[in-house]
Amino acid sequence: MLKIDNLHVRVGGKEILKGLTLAVNAGEVHAIMGPNGAGKSTLGNVLAGREGYEVTAGNVTYNGTNLLELEPEQRAAAGTFLAFQYPVEIPGVNNTYFLKAALNAQRKYRGEEELDSMQFLKRVREKLRVLHISEDLMNRAVNAGFSGGEKKRNEIFQMALLEPRLAILDETDSGLDIDALKMVADGVNAMRDPQRAFVVITHYQRLLDYIVPDFVHVMVDGRIVESGDKSLALKLEEHGYAWVAERKLAERSSTERA
Amino acid sequence: MHGWPSASWPNVLQRSGRNVNAVLDKESWRYSERAWRALHAQEFSVANPAAALPDSLVARFDWPETRARRIVFINGAPATAHVAPAGIRLGDGEHLHLVFINMPSAQSARWRLELPIAVDAGNAEVIEQHVGIEGADVLGEVASQVRVGSHARLRTTTICELPDSASLYRHERVEIASGGEHASTHALFGGRLQRFDLDVKMAGEQASYVSRGVFAPRGRQHIDVHLDARHAACDTRSDVLWRGVADQRGRGILHGAITVAAGADGADAQLQTKNLLLSPHAEIDAQPVLEIYTDEVKASHGATVGQLDERALFYLRSRGVPLSMARNLLIAGFCREAFGSVDNPELRARLEATLIGRVPQADGGSP
Repeated sequence: MLKIDNLHVRVGGKEILKGLTLAVNAGEVHAIMGPNGAGKSTLGNVLAGREGYEVTAGNVTYNGTNLLELEPEQRAAAGTFLAFQYPVEIPGVNNTYFLKAALNAQRKYRGEEELDSMQFLKRVREKLRVLHISEDLMNRAVNAGFSGGEKKRNEIFQMALLEPRLAILDETDSGLDIDALKMVADGVNAMRDPQRAFVVITHYQRLLDYIVPDFVHVMVDGRIVESGDKSLALKLEEHGYAWVAERKLAERSSTERA
Repeated sequence: MHGWPSASWPNVLQRSGRNVNAVLDKESWRYSERAWRALHAQEFSVANPAAALPDSLVARFDWPETRARRIVFINGAPATAHVAPAGIRLGDGEHLHLVFINMPSAQSARWRLELPIAVDAGNAEVIEQHVGIEGADVLGEVASQVRVGSHARLRTTTICELPDSASLYRHERVEIASGGEHASTHALFGGRLQRFDLDVKMAGEQASYVSRGVFAPRGRQHIDVHLDARHAACDTRSDVLWRGVADQRGRGILHGAITVAAGADGADAQLQTKNLLLSPHAEIDAQPVLEIYTDEVKASHGATVGQLDERALFYLRSRGVPLSMARNLLIAGFCREAFGSVDNPELRARLEATLIGRVPQADGGSP
């Protein structure tokens, strides 16, 4: 589904991703962990098409097409979704209006029939119920005056409503209490599907107790330095990121000696 | 206290050809003097009521809920049989819908109207609408003296959708007696030149004034709002919040002056204006001025001029909203914040429709 090959990205003249390679297949959940400054959020942003992220080498294909050539809205219509680490507050823009516009623009792009207000609201209510979110959310302006937890819930709700094929969650767990964390995890787990993939970017192992990943990758200094199954996350929790960095250094020097 | 004219309609409708310099004696015309003079370089005749109105135009103001209390003017002349009493005196629960129509005529037309409005007691509402047909080469002037009585409440909503060929000079002098409230909302779009002079005096204790407004010049439109709120008594309150959006070569000016006179202790004055520039050739001058001559006041003011929030734009696009739609959503959302105090649902829906129809359309290019 998603193939990232030797991706190099500069932000503000500084190289942040330094040859990142990752393959994600439909049905899989990948966790990407790593210390601050490793480039985790850069990865999410560059996949979603944010301006100011300059790809200097490598490529990204999504279902066989060059993802990097698409505009952000085209990527969304093609089925990608980024849950933002810091969702933006947009006063004056109503959540219902925005999401209906977004969903219908995606459907139109894909050649599907647009939903009318009744169909849309039916779908909204269904998703709100599953996620235990109050309908008030739909009468409010997008994220305006929301608490940190409410913003993250809104991200998960949007994901549920838009039903992407590839969802990237950028530190959706940061700043959440345990109840909100469970709600986020339930939202993701309810959507796990053989047709759908998740890339869960996180700082802490805690989220992975609830969203059990198929693969765990450790990212340090702009590339993935170690991959494994869910047990890797537990080892990281125990030993810290320094442990991975040290092991990598040891490996490198032993290779050099040989 | 202003003299209170009691006039029948013929006297109320004073048409006059004023000298071009008559209004230009103030610093306040600094940004609009050239536009004003250019208008006067051309010949105007006394306004001539034009022919029948097209249905599409009538549909824009013929709201069922205001039909009973509506006065329509075509190029300054009353077009309805409805004869108003001396001045306009509104009682509790009454509303009035004033419609000013700019129509093309054989010659450039100029008209001037004086409009005294009084609310002695209770709650009243005035809706003022300016519409027209493209090609109407009209310069209209409406000067009104508004009196809000003790503990009375007046809400005004002004929706200006001028054709680009028409100009309007709107002068409003408001006096609010003790405990009285005046809440106004302006939505200003279109026109060659729009100039609003809003002079508001909180004359009695605990008088309150709330002003909300949006102005959105584009093309070569020029919209100049000059707001002057004066706290002349104790415990008075003013709350001014405007939004400006300029696109293409549009030019906007919002001068917001608040004066707290000596002795007006306990005054609370808030002034905030936020402005968006959508093109490198657009210009907005936001000038908040606060003059305080007493110690016991609570006052704040702020003015910003900026561009569309790139992060918000990316957020909307990342959900699948195309760029041009995302821009329009953000622009409309930005303006909508100024309509928060309109609680009449029908009026709010009409303001909303005006906003959606008038928000500068995105050109599809990169922001």
